[in-house]
Amino acid sequence: QTILVVCFSVGYSAVALNHVIDFKEKKQEISKPVSPSELFPSLPIVQGTSKRIKVLTRLTLVVSDPSHCNLLRSTSANIRLYDIIAVFPKTEKLFHIACTTLDVDLVCINVTEKLPFYFRRPPVNMAIDRGIYFELLYTPAIKDSTMRRYTISNAISLMQICKGKNIVISSAAERALELRGPYDVANLGLLFGLSESEAKAAVSTNCRAAMLHGETRKTACGVVYTVKKPRKVEEEETTVPACKKAKTQA
Amino acid sequence: MVRFKNRYVLCEVLSDDPRCRQCIEDRAVGLAVRDAIARVHGDYGLACCSISFTVKYLNAYTGTVLLRCRKDSYRLLCSALPFVRHLESRAQRYPCALNTLHVGGTIRTCQKFLIEYNRRQLLILLQNCTNEEERQCIQKSLLSCSLTEEQSQSGDEDDDGTE
Repeated sequence: QTILVVCFSVGYSAVALNHVIDFKEKKQEISKPVSPSELFPSLPIVQGTSKRIKVLTRLTLVVSDPSHCNLLRSTSANIRLYDIIAVFPKTEKLFHIACTTLDVDLVCINVTEKLPFYFRRPPVNMAIDRGIYFELLYTPAIKDSTMRRYTISNAISLMQICKGKNIVISSAAERALELRGPYDVANLGLLFGLSESEAKAAVSTNCRAAMLHGETRKTACGVVYTVKKPRKVEEEETTVPACKKAKTQA
Repeated sequence: MVRFKNRYVLCEVLSDDPRCRQCIEDRAVGLAVRDAIARVHGDYGLACCSISFTVKYLNAYTGTVLLRCRKDSYRLLCSALPFVRHLESRAQRYPCALNTLHVGGTIRTCQKFLIEYNRRQLLILLQNCTNEEERQCIQKSLLSCSLTEEQSQSGDEDDDGTE
């Protein structure tokens, strides 16, 4: 809870609380997320504007086997309660599956050890088209020197393939002091090989677009085509135009 | 006219230990930042950034620090600031974090920003304070903060090139 207080004082306007589900154990039940109103009786206001801070919930699935992905397709009610869903693939095949067919918002890139697979261009391009974002963590880099090397090398190899698009930088902070302000995180993006504008986008607009992607995934479950007869043909799809709208709005 | 251009980086020291506030002093902060630059950018980074590196202004009560560096190397400095983890002074180590507030070309722009920032912080404190006399105290200080009053405290605009 103190971490959240520090977040707000430093200037973030939306925070997502993460639950990690690991599939190595035998049977895992996905628990209901902690609702944010339990933590704070009244959410404080963002510094500088007059809106309240949003606290979202997020689920991270650590997958090392294709059978784990079936959980996403199941209509378990608890998955629907999370705002953002992220997947952490451990093998190349799973990375490919996550980028192309899985219904997630974020793909986590491992920063704590050398990647067992190289990124290839086709699945990364498909993920960018679908509006899926790649996520990098920065807290291991602050804590430990060897992790810093792995973080930077993995991040730069990702940059070379995806040219800096669709990147989100987030912290896996366990203590309040491991958190850094948004300006500092954008500067860290410079270290990862992003350009200045891309780094700022990685903290602000890309995160917003990922949140909207999660919302559209929660609410819309099908494809709707509406055709207006005389002149305009207007089509509504589940995920892609919402992200495009978010990019032009934000 | 050839003149050395500097960048002034305004940061705030965040820590959860209340004793840390007392040991914020310019040498300790300078050493901590140099150490972080050395760890992240190595010898080259440390040498580049320390050409004109000083701590210009420090406020131990609010934890505000103003650093100066050359314009060519301010990126190295800014990207190494998140890696500051401890402040050391008098053989005591306190975990802390630095939060960058503003980067400006002159001390005066940083000063203007700091006044605005402090005013916003006072407003937030005003919402949270419960005591009536505290409230009046804060309101008085809110009304009295302005640029001309502070000018006697902080110094010149920017350096002359004799570094």
